[in-house]
Amino acid sequence: MYSFRYHKAGSTQEAQELHASSGEATYLAGGMTLIPTLKQRLANVDDVIDLAGIESLKGVMTSGTSIKVGGMARHNEVAADSTIEALVYLASGIGDPQVRNRGTLGGSIANNDPAADYPAAVLGLNGTVHTSDRTIPADEFFTGLFETALNDGEVVTAVEFPMPSRAAYVKFPNPASRYAVVGVMVSETNGNVRVAVTGAETCVFRVTAMEDALSADFSSGSISGISIDSSNFNSDIHASAEYRAHLVGVMAQRAVSQIS
Amino acid sequence: MEFQGESNIPAPCQEVWDALLDPEVLKECIDGCQEMTQVSEHQYLAKVRARIGPVRTTFSANIQMVDVVAPTSYTLEVSATGGAAGFGKGSASISLEDHGPETQMHYVVNGVVGGKLAQIGSRLIGGVIDKLTTHFFTKFVERWTLQT
Repeated sequence: MYSFRYHKAGSTQEAQELHASSGEATYLAGGMTLIPTLKQRLANVDDVIDLAGIESLKGVMTSGTSIKVGGMARHNEVAADSTIEALVYLASGIGDPQVRNRGTLGGSIANNDPAADYPAAVLGLNGTVHTSDRTIPADEFFTGLFETALNDGEVVTAVEFPMPSRAAYVKFPNPASRYAVVGVMVSETNGNVRVAVTGAETCVFRVTAMEDALSADFSSGSISGISIDSSNFNSDIHASAEYRAHLVGVMAQRAVSQIS
Repeated sequence: MEFQGESNIPAPCQEVWDALLDPEVLKECIDGCQEMTQVSEHQYLAKVRARIGPVRTTFSANIQMVDVVAPTSYTLEVSATGGAAGFGKGSASISLEDHGPETQMHYVVNGVVGGKLAQIGSRLIGGVIDKLTTHFFTKFVERWTLQT
């Protein structure tokens, strides 16, 4: 680990002020990616600003039509408090118990790891990302490999998920890390169907061909024939691009059969 | 890991060629490049700040131009070390086709990384090389297309 200055911010505003006054700073949410990266000397920053002391970023709030998850809500809190079953299932399948007790929603989506689960939830459930400065619709939030629409110093304060009429998340986990080799979130909210895939490409994405087919006929049979173009898919020792493309179809069909 | 592509540049071949040899232009087009110094006619030293997700580290890169055939093609050979993070090695072969007022540019980029970076991020290396490549050639072409 390289040396850095540690700060514990008491408010979002204080965190942003610290960030702005630093040469190069990083926010610490759960630290499930950041800490190992720092320990391995893969990152070297002047200031680490811990968000764990900011009360307004914590907790899960449910209203009749939506659920609002704080940026610093831990995966286990979401698994315990969410009223969206697909979100409960997704959160309880992230990493291991240690990760779920530390990892946060805001940290996960701000990092936007291509194999993380939460991006599929935000995009697949059409969540709205609330930040310290503005609100960002899910479709505009994830912009590429580890890239988001967040500006330097912007803090994810919460994500608001509209209550879906039905939703399911199915993933093929890497057996060691539980990261998604491929994960698919299928949802229907106010008649709008969404299919979001994580793990397969460098960034989470929607499969519009499946969304159209499901809008016409919400059954696993209606998407069984849809072929997935694997030309931009990730390929590694765990799964080839072609295999991942195949998994997208299988995971999507399993998700649909759970809720049709 | 190999990536290739081509771009059409609205400028004569010689002008594009000169830009490809200009360290200031290379510096502008390489994502995170902080310094670029010319050591000899076809050799440069660069400092590149890589920022890929949680990884933020500074690489020292040695850039050598080989197989230089003015004004149509060359290969950039890059070897970089990033301290504890590991090392990277890559090459970019660029060739130009003269179409009068326009120039067609082809490129093939190869890259490998080793060390800790490869251990941790092997599943991402393709995406990263792709991103750096796209950034470089987008920036390079923008030199002409953004001019009004």
